[in-house]
Amino acid sequence: MATEDVRAMLEDCANKLNIKTRHTENFLELQDDVAADFTLLTKVLYDFHKGQEPGDCKSSPLEQLVVEDFDEEQIWQELELQNTAVLRHFETVVNDIISDDALTILEEEKDEDNIDEEMAEDIGEEEEEEPHKKPKKQCEDGEGDFTDEDSDLDFDVDALEKREKLRKRAVGKASKAAGVPSEVDDKFFKLSEMESFLDDMDKQEGKEGVEDIDYFQDLPSDDDDDLDLDEDVSFKKQKKHGALKSSRNLKYKDFFDAVEGESGKADHQSEDEDDSMDGMQEDPEEEDEDDEDEDTIKEKEMRQKKVTFNLSGEEESEGEESEGEDIEDILGKKEPNSEKSAYKSSFEKRQEKMKEKIQELEKSALGEKPWQLSGEATAQTRPENSMLEEDVQFDQASRLAPAVTEETTLLLEDIIKQRIKDQVFDDVVRKNKPKEDAFEYKKRLTLDHEKSKLSLAQVYEKEYLKMTQEKTDEVEKPAHVEIQKLMDTLFLKLDALSNFHFTPKPPVPEVKVVSNLPSIAMEEVAPVSASDATLLAPEEVKEKSQAGDVLGDTEKTSTDKKRERRKKKTVKRIKIKEKERRQKEKEATQATRGGENKKQTKAEVAQNLQKITKGGKAKILKDEGKDKAVRSSQAFFSQLQDQVKSQIKSVKDQALKKKKKLKEVSVGKLKL
Amino acid sequence: MDTDNNSAPQITFPDVSESATEDATDFVQVKSKKSHKRKREQDGVGMEAEDSVAIKRPQFPPISGDQLKGGVDELRKIPVPPHRYTPLKENWMKIFTPIVENLQLQVRFNLKSRNVEIKTCKETQDIASLTRAADFVKAFILGFQVEDALALIRLDELFLESFMVTDVKPLKGDHLSRAIGRIAGKGGKTRFTIENVTKTRIVLADQKVHILGSFQNIKMARTAICNLILGSPPSKVYGNIRAVASRSADRF
Repeated sequence: MATEDVRAMLEDCANKLNIKTRHTENFLELQDDVAADFTLLTKVLYDFHKGQEPGDCKSSPLEQLVVEDFDEEQIWQELELQNTAVLRHFETVVNDIISDDALTILEEEKDEDNIDEEMAEDIGEEEEEEPHKKPKKQCEDGEGDFTDEDSDLDFDVDALEKREKLRKRAVGKASKAAGVPSEVDDKFFKLSEMESFLDDMDKQEGKEGVEDIDYFQDLPSDDDDDLDLDEDVSFKKQKKHGALKSSRNLKYKDFFDAVEGESGKADHQSEDEDDSMDGMQEDPEEEDEDDEDEDTIKEKEMRQKKVTFNLSGEEESEGEESEGEDIEDILGKKEPNSEKSAYKSSFEKRQEKMKEKIQELEKSALGEKPWQLSGEATAQTRPENSMLEEDVQFDQASRLAPAVTEETTLLLEDIIKQRIKDQVFDDVVRKNKPKEDAFEYKKRLTLDHEKSKLSLAQVYEKEYLKMTQEKTDEVEKPAHVEIQKLMDTLFLKLDALSNFHFTPKPPVPEVKVVSNLPSIAMEEVAPVSASDATLLAPEEVKEKSQAGDVLGDTEKTSTDKKRERRKKKTVKRIKIKEKERRQKEKEATQATRGGENKKQTKAEVAQNLQKITKGGKAKILKDEGKDKAVRSSQAFFSQLQDQVKSQIKSVKDQALKKKKKLKEVSVGKLKL
Repeated sequence: MDTDNNSAPQITFPDVSESATEDATDFVQVKSKKSHKRKREQDGVGMEAEDSVAIKRPQFPPISGDQLKGGVDELRKIPVPPHRYTPLKENWMKIFTPIVENLQLQVRFNLKSRNVEIKTCKETQDIASLTRAADFVKAFILGFQVEDALALIRLDELFLESFMVTDVKPLKGDHLSRAIGRIAGKGGKTRFTIENVTKTRIVLADQKVHILGSFQNIKMARTAICNLILGSPPSKVYGNIRAVASRSADRF
């Protein structure tokens, strides 16, 4: 009955609305009466649905919509108040339904689809027609909710179990085939999973970043509410299942997904437990609005038991806020908050986060620094083997010794084997220093001081040919080599027949003509090389005397001096004797001839004269020039006069001199 | 239109021309000289796609010299200073014969502008030959002998380096003259010696020094000349270049 009334009323309202809005062009101008009708309509609807609302639902406190003397704005405000509250409620419900394991939207088989569709339809119908009954039911606390739901819907237990198994397997498979296996993959760790996790984190962060920028929202953002509500739901779910393990009975598989090798076992085990207990709590942050489709649940299942990465500074702090009574909470899983945090504003939450961060930072700043940051750390100051975990960077002056790994050994062995096969060994070849005379060296590199006859092109051509033709020269050699070999064998045999005691030829002294000119004179003005070494040895220049060293005047001893004197005398004696002998011979020859040649040579005459005058035996009368022919008498007489005067003078001078001498003597005597 | 354009390279790619004519009959394309090369490439690509299905990379046939130029003839001008007119006239036959016959270029001496102009033509095979010819003429103009400059055409790795005496050390007046005299030597002896040992050719034109040869040899000659400018006696320079030359000879 009530429903009939409701329906009738609603139909009436709908009709009214349709009539009013048929001519939309009328809305271009003010229509007061239509406006009044609309307000009445809204009031009716509001009052009605307020009456239908369940008591527990936290919605607007207004029981009736007050429209008398109220402005449009005020009416809007009232409606908003109601709407937002109720919307929140609806969202909770919807999330709950989605997260409810009993009603999965996953389709592993066609049967499931049907069941899901049925359920969806059911849910849809209920929501459409009786939106208020649903929230009413959801608001009830305790397990009753879900049991009611279960009874409402046609529920196939077997189908559910099948679905569960398939899902588990799918999860298992998915977890196994979660991407490209990489180098660092382990039993516990998968690189691809980590990357997918990080991508989701980034997406989330991006979304929440957008949300942060949106300053024009008065009410708390829906996302946060959702998340909180989800947390509520999941927490409730866990409670509903009731089979909370005590801390003693917790095992590895409660926290983490099965390790690869044991996934089979784990699946079987976990299946049983899953029905009773819903395992770990899902990560609330991972429930984005976008991800609320088929894949979300899969991913959630995948992630719920894996090792998660503690990325600092992210929104996870939301989940970590709670003071978890359960062991799971303490052991780091993200637990849902208590219900009161659902209604905190985003600003408040941000502030809380900031505060936490600040506190953390302050604590770390004030507290003791780890040994890595506290200066010089000796082995005693740091924990044992802590350096093994540290990434140390330091410069090394010397090159590190090459790491000996299996691969390097194998490489080396390969090279060795190849070398042996090819018979190409790095044997040491005896090096011969080429003995080259300076002469030959100079010959080789003569400097040509003239303009080259060849043009540059020809020069290069010659060089090129020389380089390329070297190979052809070597080609000819093998013939020579063979000949040489044959000759050697032959000669060896001959030698064996003949005498093996071979005496070599006496060495012929080489005659080399070497001139003692400095090279500067031999060559051009510009010498090839300025060499100050003369080409002859000093002994070759001057023969060393038999006597030995040459002595200077001061170096000579008396014996040496006497020796020299004696030598000189003997030499002189010999000379004189020779002379006399010659003289005698000459005279003898002259005498034999009979005094014809009385001519004496000029030299002999001069010698005689000198002998005589020296001895004082004779005096040469010299013509002093006084007998000069006097031509004129005047000249004669003047000459005579001069002669006499000079004679007189000389006599006078002599007398004066004598006097002077005497005087001088007396003066000298007086002086004393 | 197509046939005209394709007639020139028909010698090298007969295949291309045939299929290109086919394309011409199918659809008419506006021809411009600029797009000539590009269109050729496109044809090549299209052809290959028809012939073999699974080829991913386009295969372009090697392009001939005149295609490389892009259809435009390039021109180089080398100015001739007045003191080289007569030598140019005397050696003109020797200069233009290798350029025209070996390199397939067109060369003339523009009397009005007093430039030697070298131009590519259809018969030119190699685009780099224009540079070589220009270098050859430039070397002759600078003062090298024709036979020596000819080496530039025959060999790839020969270079020409010029510098001024005052670049090495700022000299003026008598000092500068003396430095130039040191480089030359009595009767050109020193210069010839350096030329012979380092296998280069040196032209000493008042204050400018030009060296022609391969890179290493130019370096050796340049070092020797710089030492002479800086004041070393020729004997010392001889010793040094001989040592360096023998070392470099041993290396090869």
